Amino acid sequence: MERFVEEGLVLSAVEYGEADKIVTFLTKGRGRLSAFAAGARKSKRRFAGALEPGTHLKAQLVERRGDTYRLDKVDVVQSFFHVRDDLALLARSLYCLELVRELTRDAEPHPELFEALRAYLVLLDAKKAGPTSLLAFELQALSMAGFRPRFFPCASCGQDIGDAPRFDPDAGGVLCQGCALRVAASVPVAAGVAKSLAALQAGLRTPLESDVRARARELLNLFIAHHLGRRLKSVDFMVQVGVD
Amino acid sequence: MTPDALNRLVAQLAKLPGIGEKTAQRLAFHLLRAPPELARGLAQSLTEVVDRVRLCSRCFSLTEGEAGAPCGFCTDTRRDDRVLCVVEGIADELALERTREFRGRYHVLHGALSPLEGIGPDQLRIRELLVRLQGQAFEEVIVATNPDVEGEATALYLTRLLKPMGLKVTRLAQGLPMGGDLEYADQATLARALSARRDL
Repeated sequence: MERFVEEGLVLSAVEYGEADKIVTFLTKGRGRLSAFAAGARKSKRRFAGALEPGTHLKAQLVERRGDTYRLDKVDVVQSFFHVRDDLALLARSLYCLELVRELTRDAEPHPELFEALRAYLVLLDAKKAGPTSLLAFELQALSMAGFRPRFFPCASCGQDIGDAPRFDPDAGGVLCQGCALRVAASVPVAAGVAKSLAALQAGLRTPLESDVRARARELLNLFIAHHLGRRLKSVDFMVQVGVD
Repeated sequence: MTPDALNRLVAQLAKLPGIGEKTAQRLAFHLLRAPPELARGLAQSLTEVVDRVRLCSRCFSLTEGEAGAPCGFCTDTRRDDRVLCVVEGIADELALERTREFRGRYHVLHGALSPLEGIGPDQLRIRELLVRLQGQAFEEVIVATNPDVEGEATALYLTRLLKPMGLKVTRLAQGLPMGGDLEYADQATLARALSARRDL
């Protein structure tokens, strides 16, 4: 049984049995990893407050038979408490955690994604991350996980997207009118929205107008749901509480 | 061969939380060996609880009264009608009641907002809370949800709804336990206590 310490971010924690929890981390060195935290719901000292989603910690883990781990001890690096002062910040942080949890697979290291998520949580905690930064993080996370959507030029022929582009998640992004005729299902997208998303991908950080953000959100929801096979639960929550 | 009635009892008991096959079997044999009054009394209590206990029409706590009738907390005329305490569950309401410090009214949400589980405002008793606040002259709402991510999300959402109604919205304090020892406090609680320190 190998014993090791890994730096990680808590992606989620689910209750298990009477007193335990199964915690999913994105670790710096081993990618996504789920560990069994015995007595986590009863023990007030060993894990208290440290297994909340988003916590940055150093976890002492023990590898058990198969692919399972046991969580022995945690050392909190940063709790990001200020995220909990604002519903929009909290909703954005939970959305990102769910997105990263679903985009990654166990035992596939993503040190760059770990760093991007940590940096985004730091921004949220400092109350410097608005709705546009969420779109920027999503695009970054999708690229790092190997699902980079293409918004400009046309994802199929590489030419200009023209005045009436369409979006097809199966084709990998935005298509010009000519290429869109060859795909079975696609949705219309304003050229300005596609170019704004391309600019965000390129690193531009100018806040987008709310109507552009709303259209961009629809496209990303469609793209993510297509590639993950389901819509993220926290998306519905954001809609219900009126946060973007 | 074990009688079918006994097998059925074991199977039913094993459906309860925290009770496995072995414990269910032990409980079933205990009931069988004990005087018949024990099993009959248990069966009667189970039937009564299912038939008679229902949610209060006002605060959604438990009550044994007529359908649509309010519970003891809601009808007690000695309680303060100006303060309402919102809790996630009935166990939380009972814990607050044990303090003997709170004499206002309660409202039970029956859960907390959980973005990662897909639990939104429509699955909780939030709409009923708003209707209640419009009909009664409360001055303060104490949000006593748990100090975890779900509880905080619920508290922030409620604050957003209740503040525009002109109500004073307060939240239970978070930090070190009474009689606690700094040396043995966990990191998260101590850090929270430090950031929420108050003037003396």
